[in-house]
Amino acid sequence: MTTIRLENLVKHFGDFTALKTMDLEIRDGEFMALLGPSGCGKSTTMNMIAGMEDPSGGRILFDGRDMNGVPMGKRGVGFVFQNYAIFTHMTVRQNLAYGPKMRGMRRSEIDRRVKNIADFLQLTPLLDQKSAKLSVNILQRLAIGRSAIVEPAIFLLDEPLSNVDAAFRAVMRTELKHLQKQFEQTMVYVTHDQLEAMTMADRIAVMDHGVLQQVGTPLEVYNNPANIFVAKFIGAPGMNLIAGELAETDRGLAVDLGTWGVSPPLSDDLAAAARAAGSRAVQYGFRPEEATLGPEGQGLRARVTFVERIGARTIVHVESGQTAKIVAGNDVACSIGDVVSIVPAPQAVRLFDAASTAAIRGA
Amino acid sequence: MRRSPAFEIFRYAAIALALALTLLPILWMVSMAFKPIPEWSATGADLTWIPRAPTLDNFRFVFGESTSDLIVALERTAWRPILASLLSAVFGTAIAMVCGTAAAYGLSRFGSGKNLPLALIQLRLFPPMAVMIPVMIMWAFLGLIDTWWGLALIYGIVTLPFAFWLMKTFFDEMPREIEEAALVEGCSRFRVFMKITLPMMRAPLASSALLVFILNWSDYLIALLLTTKNWVTIPVYMASLSSSMTGQLYGAKAALGLLAAIPPVILGIAIQKHLVRGLTFGALKQ
Repeated sequence: MTTIRLENLVKHFGDFTALKTMDLEIRDGEFMALLGPSGCGKSTTMNMIAGMEDPSGGRILFDGRDMNGVPMGKRGVGFVFQNYAIFTHMTVRQNLAYGPKMRGMRRSEIDRRVKNIADFLQLTPLLDQKSAKLSVNILQRLAIGRSAIVEPAIFLLDEPLSNVDAAFRAVMRTELKHLQKQFEQTMVYVTHDQLEAMTMADRIAVMDHGVLQQVGTPLEVYNNPANIFVAKFIGAPGMNLIAGELAETDRGLAVDLGTWGVSPPLSDDLAAAARAAGSRAVQYGFRPEEATLGPEGQGLRARVTFVERIGARTIVHVESGQTAKIVAGNDVACSIGDVVSIVPAPQAVRLFDAASTAAIRGA
Repeated sequence: MRRSPAFEIFRYAAIALALALTLLPILWMVSMAFKPIPEWSATGADLTWIPRAPTLDNFRFVFGESTSDLIVALERTAWRPILASLLSAVFGTAIAMVCGTAAAYGLSRFGSGKNLPLALIQLRLFPPMAVMIPVMIMWAFLGLIDTWWGLALIYGIVTLPFAFWLMKTFFDEMPREIEEAALVEGCSRFRVFMKITLPMMRAPLASSALLVFILNWSDYLIALLLTTKNWVTIPVYMASLSSSMTGQLYGAKAALGLLAAIPPVILGIAIQKHLVRGLTFGALKQ
């Protein structure tokens, strides 16, 4: 139950800049996901919050208190590692009791907590087993339990689910969210998996190349990506982006997409914003889920290059100089080589400045 | 996979040959240890694998009991050399393991002493003789000649590089996250080392210690130079088992060799579990 504030946080490793001036506030009791591809600086940020790495510049504040120089054992954080870091020479019970013992809790209190957390994480039948023999799924559960048992005010998780199998990952997503609801800690969750970030987080901080790209609720970053990177990174598949130029038509401002044809006129808001921005070269973006395949003649023209039928939905890959994907129903009738028309839903269209990559947004 | 019968025959033949080359000399020593003089001193045609008249005389002889057949007066019995070997090898191994482990941990985790690896390997770069003569002079100056502790000290020093290099590799392989997990819980560095790192390092520690022990246990040269009478070790003592009358006392040597093989074998069996398990760090799958 602590607010974490990062102020102008910088981290260099020799000549390499892992993190460029990051400012972020993680609110009391919030579930914040740090999301980005590997090497984007998310783990470095996390390690600095935990105190494993010292910042090269800037400050980290817990409830206004500067954490600079405070050793990690005194920060009151729980940390779950990607590779579990279970003490394999101990039993499950000893692993769970480790933190409380280090904090000098009474025997009866330790027993009570071990029992509670073991019940919560369904580890009770395994309590007296040597942890070296457990499966990866159980190990990660144990790792979470070992950190959660001391009820830290801040709970840091570094890609905790990337080594467990898919089915278990789905279970753990629910359990982690449940855990946070119960203990109400401030939770920072590092992941490269946007599904984990979208399903669990209250807010997502998207990072790339050591730079914070956007902070917002899952729907905000999904609906209104701040720039091209976020647009492509969030969503599976990511947003379609087609390079084009703004063009005045008799029905209003539109985007000339070259071989694709001219886009439907932009909404009034977006057109006003695009005019105000002043740049002609733009990226025309729309979500694969928010476009329909129509008969030839209306909308954007492209040729089908591949059809992925994945059961509930069909992902249609199209190409016309540049590629795009359309998510359609499972009964969509099209095959490789067909020429199709794509009609993006008007409210789903986003524009990005081709030069700065930033979103051009209406009021 | 199915292999052709010819290949299988070849494979087993190769294994049998390798086993024979390794084991037959040892078996011959075992057999000789139980042979009476006429059998081990016999020439050519009379040699047999199985002693015709098995006896413990060779063992009795090295421990100082006079036997009817061997009329050779021993300067000393095997008791003292066995004690000398045990003391010097055990303490030498302890010195090498304690210092080597500490140094390896410091370098692996904190990068302290970056020149240490080279400095330590330097000890082994010179021909042992070149190093040992100056050591002999130093030891004489320090009054450490012909003492078990002097021998233990030099054993600790010369095997330190092995302990250090082995342990450094193991520490490098052990993920830091395990220690960080304990540090986050508020554990001190020293306590992490004692309660988490060392217990998880049991297998590497055991196998490194065994290797270092065997090196110390089988040393001949250093003990030859640094001991004279009171604290000669088994290998030095064994070399002295000859007489002008009978020449080399093969039977006695074999008996002593058999005894000398016991400690490493016992240790090997004791830590076999660790040796075969190797280093997996159980839970850590990267």
